[in-house]
Parts: sequence; structure tokens; C-alpha cells
Amino acid sequence: MHFRHQPSRRRPLFESFKRLPASVIALSVLGATPARAQVARPAGHTEDAFDLMNVLAQHGLHDIDDETWNAYGQVTWISSFKLPFHGAPYNLHGSNMSLVPDFEHSFTGSATLFLGLRLWRGGEVYYVPEVIAERPLSQLRGIGGSIQNFELQKGGTETPQLYRARAYFQQTFGLGGRREQTNSDPMQLGATIDRRRLVLHVGNFTILDFMDKNEFANDPRQQFFNMAFMTYSAFDFGSDARGLSFGAVAEIIADDWALRLGRITPPKNPNDLTWELRLYKYFGDQIELDHEHRIFGQSGAIRLLAYHNRVNAGRFDEAIAAFESDPAGKNAASCLGTSRYNYKSTNTGAPDLCWVRRPNDRVGIGLALEQHISNDVGLSVRGMISDGQSEVYAYTPTDRSLAVSLLAKGASWGRPRDVTGIGGAINWISSIHARYLAMGGVDGFVGDGYLRAAPEGVLEAFYSVNVLNPLWISADYQYLVNPAFNADRGPVHILGGRVHAEF
Amino acid sequence: MPSSRQFLSAIAGASAALMVSSVIAAAQPLADGYAVERYYPSAPGAGWLVMDHLDLYGKLGGGVTLTTGYARNPYSVAAADGSSSLHVVSNQAFVDVGMAVFYDRYRISLNIADPLYASGNSGTVAGHEFSAPSVDPGKYPDKVTDVRLGFDARLLGDANGPLRIGLGAQLWVPSGERSLYATDGTLRAMFRTLVAGDFGMFTYAGQLGVHVRPLDESPVPGAPRGSELLFGMAAGSKFAISRAYNAAFVLGPEVFGETAFHSPFGKHTSGVEALLTGRLQRADEHGARETVKLGFGEGIHAQFGAPDWRAVVAVEIYDRVR
Repeated sequence: MHFRHQPSRRRPLFESFKRLPASVIALSVLGATPARAQVARPAGHTEDAFDLMNVLAQHGLHDIDDETWNAYGQVTWISSFKLPFHGAPYNLHGSNMSLVPDFEHSFTGSATLFLGLRLWRGGEVYYVPEVIAERPLSQLRGIGGSIQNFELQKGGTETPQLYRARAYFQQTFGLGGRREQTNSDPMQLGATIDRRRLVLHVGNFTILDFMDKNEFANDPRQQFFNMAFMTYSAFDFGSDARGLSFGAVAEIIADDWALRLGRITPPKNPNDLTWELRLYKYFGDQIELDHEHRIFGQSGAIRLLAYHNRVNAGRFDEAIAAFESDPAGKNAASCLGTSRYNYKSTNTGAPDLCWVRRPNDRVGIGLALEQHISNDVGLSVRGMISDGQSEVYAYTPTDRSLAVSLLAKGASWGRPRDVTGIGGAINWISSIHARYLAMGGVDGFVGDGYLRAAPEGVLEAFYSVNVLNPLWISADYQYLVNPAFNADRGPVHILGGRVHAEF
Repeated sequence: MPSSRQFLSAIAGASAALMVSSVIAAAQPLADGYAVERYYPSAPGAGWLVMDHLDLYGKLGGGVTLTTGYARNPYSVAAADGSSSLHVVSNQAFVDVGMAVFYDRYRISLNIADPLYASGNSGTVAGHEFSAPSVDPGKYPDKVTDVRLGFDARLLGDANGPLRIGLGAQLWVPSGERSLYATDGTLRAMFRTLVAGDFGMFTYAGQLGVHVRPLDESPVPGAPRGSELLFGMAAGSKFAISRAYNAAFVLGPEVFGETAFHSPFGKHTSGVEALLTGRLQRADEHGARETVKLGFGEGIHAQFGAPDWRAVVAVEIYDRVR
């Protein structure tokens, strides 16, 4: 494995894998690797990729190892077909966050430009415009931490929306050590830099550009569809409804070690598109310690990540207490007549977070392991615990999550640019969160009006066929149990397809 | 208990009130909003802030420009009899990111506009109800409005000669919400004849063209009236700053405007503004150039999108294959 700060174009991610028979590989890929949402950092392009920068470099028109600029792009279409499932009661008593049991078709279409420019030695700017159109399942309601398509955004529309996905400045200060080559990739200019360095990022980005990076899942548009494999489901990283934020991140990198610190904007309201820019008052803080290693000659990394959100959120126990003290006045339905931010539940017999939002803290800590099993197969394990006392503010309503995945490239069966994987993930909620939902409460994504609490789980398998050098077509299957942490609902079968091109 | 007569009277009264309110409502249609911005930043490498220096030549190259600016009262409306007026858009700040690739005498470009801030006043003027835009970085953190794709070509004249003539075409792809006064919500196009030249330290550029604009919001005051004639001229002097660094400063005015074909050069269907522009540029022997541009000016005829005053700053970098 190479360092994620400088993925090597000269050494493709998965090199030839000839020692294991194809059957073993086929079995080994019945696991999954973390994939990231549209907000995640895209993977590096390989040396033989048919993209603009490679073409220019091959014609002697661009110095790809010492770039002053670069430009990449991608286009992705994903369709998901949710088959009808066990029709247990849903949207009970006016609660409105259920996955409907009927057949549904969901899609996303996205196109992105990644533009980078070197201003001076170590100083770079990146600008990433993106357009997306989408139709979620059940208005993106009724699934906790295992939303079937990482590209879906809260509040997205079927009409294409153009937005600025990133605009940030990056300054690298060399601190010595050996020199190493960074490669020309989306949001990375080709250059030679110190292995010990301080890197500052300021602007508009997703925290996943810099933290919880994963060697096997750099570009989710090539790998797993499900959000459970994008990052920790319980990582409620400060971000708007698209997964983006404004802020600053500092990285101190010393050979195999890296320490990252970041402060970013949360949304003004939970899962909203507006930013809360008063970073002194409300914020999402992150710290990550990262160490890369080799085990039996195979590279890997282990990361410890902790976060602390200071946001205007509601605590479940306080919402329940408010309801129990005044059931007629402080129920979910009565929020509708107020200016308080609410999720439009009309359940008169349920508590609601709208009554108790105030500056609150949410914290979590997670551990991630990624490990090459061979040159072409990688394992990833991620687990996180959040305190689970207050509502989800930016990502998924999960309070504890565990995801295990395997990813493989198809070199051993003669298709080195094909990718396949399998993974399983489990997401839990805290007991007070479960009690709130059982009473009919809703949050930004879940709330059936009742709850028989159980972990939500997903099993996913996919295969991506490389049709042309820059074009992949993928088939995907997901088996979702206990959607919205409700043992009375599901299981749900979701079939998916994806077309992805890079240039 | 009310009598049947009282009841009928109440019904009649309510019906009359409803009819009157309907008539009032019909007389005060809500203006939907449209692209107010009349400052169309030139493509990277074009030299001027709005006009095009048209010195396209040489090997394959590319450039980027970051432009930011502020306009005061870019959209003000007034009743024909002067009885009322309203600054619908009173503050507008933006960032434009421009990118271009050029080869020989041709250039293709892309401009992406990010609204930073917009505010104004809501109210009713001349029977039309206007709703002020409200944009700030927190509310619309990642908003992108119309994207502009362009193609320009130098057809006649040498790259550094006294007369260069070219053609340009630009296409706006709509994005964003009309209510922010940042887009028409329709495709638009611009076709221009470009002229430019250099005589010693004197430099000039001009344009004449057509803005193909499907939106006609008649009779909303100050609103688009369909397609427009575009015109503009720039002239300045070039002062050498440092021969060692091949740095120069160009100072001169740019005047530009538009008028709707619907009512050519009408008082409320035309806008003209002037910017005093200065640019500091440094070039190397290979044709790479770095430029910082400043512009400040006011609306000569502050109607139809021309603001009371405007300030603009731009940074431009371009390079070409060695």
C-alpha cells in the first residue's frame, strides 16, 4: 500500500495477484470495502487511465510529475430498485419517516469537474463544481445508517442542481525527511514533497477529503453503493445536507504517522443545507491519529478518530421529558404551528426534538483498520461509538456502527480493471434514542411511529466491469434488515446498477 | 342568531372582499426574478475586465481567472410617473471562476458564477410586487448560478498588431433560482464581433454583439425585454514597470452596455456603465502571464442592470506549453 497522501500513479492500487487461484479470489471478494459518498475524496487515476492529464503528458504537453495545474472529471449514474417488502405498519399515527413497502425506483446522476492550480511553492487551490439530480427511496426516509446509494443528498431534486462542491486553499510546509512523489489526481497536483510536512487546508470541502481516508475506497463511485461503507455510519461529521462544510484542517505528517485536526461548520438546523458560520459558537471538531504499517509484507493502516460537535440539537431524554410533562402542548404535531425547526410529523402522541433544541454536545470515537491481504485484495474494518444522547445533526441517525468489507480487483481472472466487493455493516442506536422512536418520535431520517428496536444491518455485493478504459458498468445487490432499527420491518432487497466514467 | 338577511349580507360582503382582493392581487403580479448581472467577466487571457484583447496566438495553453466584485443598486425600479421607486437588488457580491484553453488563434472558456451576497428591498412599484433576494454564505453556501461556455477566435490581424478582428460566441446554461435575481432560468447566448489593437503604448478593444435572451418580462419595470444589443469599448495606455520582469501596467476605461431590441435605447430598456480599469501584468518569454486587475466605476445610465457603482478585482494566471 502506498501512502494515501501520495497515491502512486506509477504503482496501481492493486498490483498483479497471481499466486491465488481465481476461485479463492472470487470467494475472498465476498466482503466489502468502505465506500464514500459523493462527498468523499475521489480515487487516484492509474497511469494507464484515459484522462486529459495523461493524454497531455503522453504527448509531451504537460509535466505530470511537477504540475502547475490539473483537471479531471467524472460522470456517474446509479439506479436502485427496491423490491416490495413485508408491509408492517409504517408512518403510524402521523409519524412520517418510514420506508414505504412498495416497489420504488431511486436514481442519482452526477457530473463533477476537479480543478487544481498551484499558486506558489506549496500553495494550491482546488475548485470542484458538481451537478446532481436524484430521486431517493421514500423521500430519503426510513433507513438509518445504510442508505442504499451514497450519492443521495437530503433535499435533492430530480431537476439537476449545480453547486460548488469544493473551493479550498492548501499550503504545504516541508519539514524534511525523504522526498516523495505525489501523483497527479483529482484534488492533488503532481509534485515532489517532504515525507515530513505540515499541510493546512482552508475553505469549502468535506472532512472526508482529509480524514478517514481509505486505501481501498478512495472513490466510492467505483466501489460500494451503500452509505454504510462510505465512512463510519455513526460519524456525525459536521456538514450540510450535501456532506460539505467550511472550515480548516491541519495535517502533521511524519513518515508513517499522521495527526489531523479540523474544525468545520455544522448546518444551522439538523441535516439542512445552510451553514452555521459562527465557528466560535457551533462547530464540528475532529482529531485523527493515523499510522501506516506492514504485516507479512502487506501494507495497511490503523486510524483512531474522535469527533465533538457543538450544535443546536435536541436531546432525546429532554424531548421525552418535555412531552411527558405537557403531552398536549409539546408533542410532535404541535411543533407544526410554531417557527421551530421540525420534521412535519403530525403525531399528537409523540415527543419531538423541536421543543428542546439548545446548544448541546455530541461526541464519538472510532477505530478503523485497512489491510492488504494480497496485492489485489484489501480488507477494511470500521467501528465507532457515539454517545447517542442527542439527535443526528449531519450524517446518519446511527449511534454505533461496525462495517467490514473486502474489495478485490480482477487481475487474477484476466480483468485487472474490474472491481468487486462484498461487505456487511451493522448500525445501532442508543437505548434512549430507541425509547424516543418507540414513543413515535422522529428525527431527520427515521421514525415509524413505533419501534421494536433491533440493529439495522446491510449486506452488499457488487461487481464492476470495466467496459472501456475510462468506463465501468456495475451490478449491485443489497440485503437490508431492520430498516430504521425496527425489527418489525423488512428485510428489504435492493438491486442496483451503475455507469461510471472518468476523464 | 343572525337573520337570513344578515347572513346573505355577510356572504355578499365576503364575496365582494374576495373579488376586490383578487383584483388587487391580479394587479400586483409577483416579479419572478431574472439575471440582473450585466458584468460578464472576460475569458482568461482576454486582458481587459470585460473586453477582449484578442491577442490569441501560439501553442496550446490554459488559464484561470478568479474575479470578485460588488455592485451597488444593480436593480432599481421606479414608477413611470416617478411616484415610487425601489432598490429591489441593492447589494450584490459575487465570485466568478473562469477557465480557458487556447490554441493558436482560438480559445474555449468556461465561467462559473458563485453569488456571495445579495440583498435588497421588497415592495410594490407600478402595480408589480417585488421580492428582494436574500443570499449570504451561510444560507446558500454552495450556490452556483448560470454557467457560461465560450468560444472566441481571432480571425484577422496579427496577435500584436494595430487591428485584430474576431468573433465570439457564449452560451449560458441556467442554474439556480430566479428569485435570487441571478438567472433567467433559460438558455441564453451571446454572439459578438470583437476588435482590438495596439499602437505602441496605446491599446484598445471593443465589441458589438447580440445577447439572445428568450425572457421577456414585459411590463415589469427594468425587467428583460427579450434579446439585446451589446456594445462596449475600452482604451488605455501601457506603462512598462520593469523590463527585467517584463512587467507592465495598463490603465484605461472600459465602457459597456446593452439595450433591448424591443425598445432600442429606451430609458428603461438600456443600461450603460463605465469602469476605470488598471491591470498589472507580468509575462515571461514563453508567453506565460500573471495579471492582477482592478476596476471601479459607475453606471452612466444606471438602468436595466447597470448599477450605481461597481468595484471589481481579478487575478489571472495563464501558461502555455513550452
